[in-house]
Amino acid sequence: MSETLGIPRALLYYRYGPLWDQFFHALGVQTVLSPPGSRGLLEAGARLAPDEGCLSLKMFMGHVESLVGKCDRIFIPRYSNYGYTEVFCTRYEALYDQARNIFRSTPQRFITCNIDAMAGSPEPKAFERFGVELGFTPRQSRRAWREASAALRQKQRASEKAQRALAEKPGMKVLVAGHSYVLSDPYLGGPILDFLSASGVPALRADALDPETARRACARFSPTCRWIVSEEIVGGVLLWKDHVDGIILVSAFPCGPDSMTNELLVRRIRGVPILTLVLDTQSGTAGIETRLESFLDIIRFQRGEMT
Amino acid sequence: MKQQRKVALPRYGEYNCALKYMVEQGFEARCILPPPMSRHTEELGARVSPDLVCTPFKTTLGSMMEALEAGADTIIMVYGACRLNYFGELQEQILRDQGYTFEFINLSLYNTGKKRDILRALRVINPRRSMVKAARAFRDAFRMVEYLDDTTAFYYQNCGFDPSGTYPKIYRRFLADLYAAGSLAEIQEAYRAANHAFADVTLQKPPDPVRIGIIGDYFTVMDPFSNLHLEQKLADLGAEVHRLMNITNDMLRNTEKNKQVKILDFSEYSMGASSTTDIWQARNFAERGFDGIIQVKSACCMPETDIMPVLANLSRDYKIPVLYLTYDQQTSDVGLLTRLEAFYDMVEMRKKVAR
Repeated sequence: MSETLGIPRALLYYRYGPLWDQFFHALGVQTVLSPPGSRGLLEAGARLAPDEGCLSLKMFMGHVESLVGKCDRIFIPRYSNYGYTEVFCTRYEALYDQARNIFRSTPQRFITCNIDAMAGSPEPKAFERFGVELGFTPRQSRRAWREASAALRQKQRASEKAQRALAEKPGMKVLVAGHSYVLSDPYLGGPILDFLSASGVPALRADALDPETARRACARFSPTCRWIVSEEIVGGVLLWKDHVDGIILVSAFPCGPDSMTNELLVRRIRGVPILTLVLDTQSGTAGIETRLESFLDIIRFQRGEMT
Repeated sequence: MKQQRKVALPRYGEYNCALKYMVEQGFEARCILPPPMSRHTEELGARVSPDLVCTPFKTTLGSMMEALEAGADTIIMVYGACRLNYFGELQEQILRDQGYTFEFINLSLYNTGKKRDILRALRVINPRRSMVKAARAFRDAFRMVEYLDDTTAFYYQNCGFDPSGTYPKIYRRFLADLYAAGSLAEIQEAYRAANHAFADVTLQKPPDPVRIGIIGDYFTVMDPFSNLHLEQKLADLGAEVHRLMNITNDMLRNTEKNKQVKILDFSEYSMGASSTTDIWQARNFAERGFDGIIQVKSACCMPETDIMPVLANLSRDYKIPVLYLTYDQQTSDVGLLTRLEAFYDMVEMRKKVAR
């Protein structure tokens, strides 16, 4: 009998989701995905996670709670690093152990996949070990990982291609930059993207870009930035900024890497108006809409569309 | 002849005495010592820093500004395992935007995992200086750090039981001696003198005093200004204050190589930066029968926030109270003291009941 794994639809799921999904699909592992982000999940997570944790961490713990009792094990990978100079925010490192501690009083079991190249567990190796732990052969696991990482690349290429077409279109456009798990979450970033599309302004996304290209651009711009995901966002901003009339930096309160990389972007990028939005647990969207509205007005004014 | 460099590093607890020694003896450059951190330092830094960055970023930036105003022309910034790795680059950008002129040696740029690269960075400070002499100065400076940590630990474990009030004087004298030291002999002499002086004081220590263990983020826990002299406050209340987290234990000796193995039931993997050390230290305090643990962290510190659920479980399992302290610019001296008094009273009361 095969077991069912629960996957929280939060944090790195929005970046590595296609990879995980394909990996489990190739191995024939049954999975259950938590529902899309909502106010209820965030409130549930805020009760569980440390108060000072970031908004996305709280959302994540809400997702984990929604899976408790609905699956055999909850899958929380530990993304630590791809090497000495390619690291992840410490929060992803801590997620698995943190969840185990928070849900210690429940019978729920957890499983991780430890991606830590510095400790001898680079991504392919990590997924191979993970597959073996799930009861498959190393060969099957390696094969599943190859298919999975190809699926992720394909997905990334497709989103970059779609965006390129959008970027070539004439007219006013803005770039929305932030973590995928903030922008793609219907409750967190959803209202921002909805407002932009309702205003008829096409929104490009900084995270729709080949990660390698983005990271190379970031390495030239900010040599000591080592957070992979932040590098991708910064690189995305640099490579898309010439196609747009304004940049919106979206961050979840109080995101550690964003607090610094966004500051650097604001200080080093010239010639494009930048709006910084920090999302917190306050639920109304009116404040966000007012700020977006006035930002769009500034751009229209600059473009001479408003007098 | 080229003018001597005037090098500065931001304030970091009392470790600047060793940094000063390295710069002056190791590289024959002048070391500009920024003034001790104060509210002014914090405000200077906070005014130009991003809001949501952790407090050490703001205080070290303020300290750099004070160093530049005191005449420094070169600033060295270190790196670390968390956001600290990125401090240098952003701080340099902010200082340049403010209009300061200076040379910035960001060690994070040279932190590539290869030791050779770090040596390359050190050559930048004074290219003509021999590496052998520099190595000797480093060895002395490390010795100084060991003496400093050793004496500091002894001081906070005992100063609460000194009725004569001479302990603080001896400790201050010792620090002044270290800052003035120019050779290994002088460093050793300062250490010896302090030890002798401490031995001459008769302590009034109960056989089973209240013992409190302190853990926390790398900067805030070791920098007395940043934690509002937490250790002194606790000692003044009458506690024996223990802190394992210092440069000696965590970098120079690092005797506990396999800490993770000892906390596997709480955390299977490292939770980032100092988290493993912290959890291990908390367990160590709990197993040694301490009466309370205090976790010190700056606002928005990521790894320290992440281990809070672990500490909560540890507190439950070992039945040891844990006080979580978060420091930001708004934390007030009096507010902190009130919380510490309440914590101390509670811990003391538990002790009496248990006895």
